[in-house]
Amino acid sequence: MDTVNEINSGKGYAIVKIENLENFIQLRKNFIKNLNINSNEDEDIDIVREKIAKMNKSEINKAMINLLKFNNLSEIILNSFPKLVKQLCGEELLIQRRATVIMNVPGKGQAKQWPHYELMSGISPFTYVIWIPMHDLEENSGVYFVELEKSLELIKKEEAQGLVNGPTVLNMMSDQKPVPLKFGEAIIFNPFVLHGNIQFKSNLARIAYNVRFQSFKKPILQKNTDYLKYYKLN
Amino acid sequence: MTVASVTTDINIGPFKIPSNAQNMIMNNYADRNKISIELVIPEPMMSRSLATLQWIHNDRKLSLVILSSIYQLPDEGNKISEIINNMSEVNFHFAIEGLNGKGGDFLHKCIEEAKKFMKISMIDSTKTKWSELYEIKKNFN
Repeated sequence: MDTVNEINSGKGYAIVKIENLENFIQLRKNFIKNLNINSNEDEDIDIVREKIAKMNKSEINKAMINLLKFNNLSEIILNSFPKLVKQLCGEELLIQRRATVIMNVPGKGQAKQWPHYELMSGISPFTYVIWIPMHDLEENSGVYFVELEKSLELIKKEEAQGLVNGPTVLNMMSDQKPVPLKFGEAIIFNPFVLHGNIQFKSNLARIAYNVRFQSFKKPILQKNTDYLKYYKLN
Repeated sequence: MTVASVTTDINIGPFKIPSNAQNMIMNNYADRNKISIELVIPEPMMSRSLATLQWIHNDRKLSLVILSSIYQLPDEGNKISEIINNMSEVNFHFAIEGLNGKGGDFLHKCIEEAKKFMKISMIDSTKTKWSELYEIKKNFN
């Protein structure tokens, strides 16, 4: 099965290689520079991750505010996958106005993400999500995915009970296995696929980006200009 | 030079936002961006020309204006030219989209973006079910 079919009607997600790695390496350098934590842009990413892991919540919040300068992150990420994005959605897109940066700090109280599907937020069924780590992932530190068929079954089962993200879904966290990824790889998935992350052991923070996009020619659901903007691929 | 926020009709493009909620949105935006609002301008309902805003600008020389959304900008030819000609030096902020800028190019870009979004078809979430959304995707031509 090719990647597009795998994402749309196969497992619902696929591991892909970054097409324009140079572009993405430059993005990582800019990220390090914009963090403003006394790191130069050529600093090893693991040293940056170690610094982040030692920061308190307020310092992390400050670093996240520094990253708001990064107002074209969505475009840069999508231009790292121009062929696949075009295959999925064509050239005219609606893209997330501001891509999401995720910094998970290890230790007690580390953010765990309970199982959910992206559709819950009101994005369109025609949306795709790219999730990219900025480094090789340690064991269990990535995202786990529940295959499309199983995810759809759960949606139907919960709907019959008048629930959305009820106990059946929320209790799935314990037996999940995150997908291992190396730097230069990403996961693209459709909004019906249940996913989340579990607590992991490491001395380093986990840093990843994600961005949502859809064809401009397909319907939207609840997310509008509050979340999306028009963008034409270069 | 005055900083103002503007409330309008409850129907703002696809959104339905009562004027007190518009004020909450704009006040929160102003707070996050360290902007002090000095004047709140209520536009009449069922009007998209921002005529009150322009009339007050002639008198008070506004420097910065906050609106809830780009959908509140005029969408007809002469109304668009009027606001661009009268208020090209004013810094406009749109709280929901998190956009800001000034001048004709910026306002035109915002108006065009709102128009583009108005043309996109929308799935009515009040008339569908979770289990139907995948079918909508699968059967879309």
